[in-house]
Formats: sequence, structure tokens, C-alpha cells
Amino acid sequence: MTKLAHTTIVMERTYNASAARVFAAWADVEARKRWSAPADGIRIEYEEADFREGGRDVSRCIEPGNADYVATVTYIDIRKDERIVFAEDVTHGGKRVSAALISMALTPQVSATHLALTLQIASFDEAGMEQGYQFGWNAALDNLAKEFAQ
Amino acid sequence: MTTTTHGSFIIERRYNASPERIFAAWADPKAKRAWFAEGEGWDIRSYELDFRERGTETSTFRVAGGNNPFPPNTTFSNDTVFNEIIANERIVFTYSMARDGMRFSISLATVELHAADKGTRFILTEHGAFFDGADGVKMREQGWQELLGKLDEYLAKAN
Repeated sequence: MTKLAHTTIVMERTYNASAARVFAAWADVEARKRWSAPADGIRIEYEEADFREGGRDVSRCIEPGNADYVATVTYIDIRKDERIVFAEDVTHGGKRVSAALISMALTPQVSATHLALTLQIASFDEAGMEQGYQFGWNAALDNLAKEFAQ
Repeated sequence: MTTTTHGSFIIERRYNASPERIFAAWADPKAKRAWFAEGEGWDIRSYELDFRERGTETSTFRVAGGNNPFPPNTTFSNDTVFNEIIANERIVFTYSMARDGMRFSISLATVELHAADKGTRFILTEHGAFFDGADGVKMREQGWQELLGKLDEYLAKAN
């Protein structure tokens, strides 16, 4: 049996958009497909998408030359324009690699919105998924800014 | 506007029982209900356990006197989903808690069982997000300390 590794990662961004627009970019699966792919050559495909409390997303992160990461998200708590809390289980090549509790909170500022993302992760492959989460979410949150760039 | 606080804690303890017996006390609905749900001052309104990956555990319990710190009739509920189960070794679960229908926390918890010294080294790690008016990470840790003590008593009695 592999050892468990636990970690908490906090990421913050400020976007030049209203909280309603930032929230919508998370709620809308088409928008999420655009901004959540962390790099060119990596694409995200959704097998299920159901953004509501108790709803479930199943997405596949596809990178040539690497086995797919499959993320199953269960939305636990959604407050429109304020916060989203969800549980995420990830498998890599069919093998379970992590379970995480992820919360996203939005705070309106003068003509901008502050986003705080807290990732609480139990990783089943030592520190591997911690690095994966760092890379993936940092890139995704940077991409998200482009959604509001006009 | 809501505020959310995040926190984590680890509780490590030793049980004289084997990992198999401890695992069974988490897996069997009757056993789990006895040490986890039942307690003085609480009226168990419902308890269901479907112990398998993606399975759920739901319970509702109402204040019914005793040394309870909450007002009479306050009703709490716990909704759990099991993320991963490895028999006799590991249980990973996500749960949310509500007070009178208002969700106040969401947690991810892992339980690890390691055979040690004719008993078990037990490690609970919990990561939580606590909302407005939440009991917070300190109270949660204290709650688990009590529950894990009740598990010890249950195992001793069932011996």
C-alpha cells in the first residue's frame, strides 16, 4: 500500500471582472474547458457535467504520451457569486492517486474580484499529486484572467 | 458575505484491538451506529450506512438533554460519501454537517490502520472548510477525540 501524504495549498488572484462574471466562468462548463487546460497540448474533455449541489462532473485530462487523469468532482456547496466547495477524486491510468476538498471563495473589490482557492489534498502517490495540483491550478487560474480580457 | 475558515488536524492513537476489528467497527452499520451515533443526550432520528466506495452514510440527531451544550431540539445532520476503502488499512471519506438544515462544514478525512504491538496504530487526518457560525477546527478535533474514545470503549465491551 502506498503512503498517504497530506497538504494544503492556497492560491489567490484578483480579476478585473465582477464576482458574477468570475462565478459564471466556473459554472459554465464550456468556459471551464477553455481555462482549465493547464498547457498547450493538454485538453480537458467532459464525460459528465452537472453544476449544482449534489451534482457530479467527470472530466478527462488528455496529454499525448501520458495516461489520462480522470477527475470526478462532486459539488457539495454552491453559493452563487460567492463560493463553490467540491470534492475531487483523481485517477491516473485507472489508478486512484488523490482525494481533495477544494473551496473557491469570491470577494468583491472596487471594480475587481478577489479569488481564494484552497486545496486540501490527500495524495496516494506520495508528493506527486501535490506538484500536479500546484502546476495545474496555477496555470488554470492564470488562464482564467484571459476570460475577462476584453 | 460569508466567511470560510480552513483547518486541518491529525489524531494519532493506539488501540489494543487488531486493524481487522477496528475496520469492522467502521464497516458494520450496527457497530458504527453504536459508537459513532448513539450517545447520552442525543436522540438519533435516522442512521444509515452503505459502506462501500461511492456509498453514503447519513445520520440525523437531535438534542435531547444530558450535558449537551446546544439548545433543546437542535438538530444536526451528517452526510458522508466514501472516496476510498482498503479493507483493514484505509478509509477516505468526505462529509458535510448541518445544524437545523444550515450546512456549516465540509471535510475530507482519512483513517489509516497500521498493525503495531498486538494492536493498532490509528491515524485520523481531517481537512475542513468551516462556514459562518461554524464550530471550527478545534471543536471538531475535540469531537473526534471523544468519538475515538467511544470506539475504544465499544471495542473493549465487544471483546
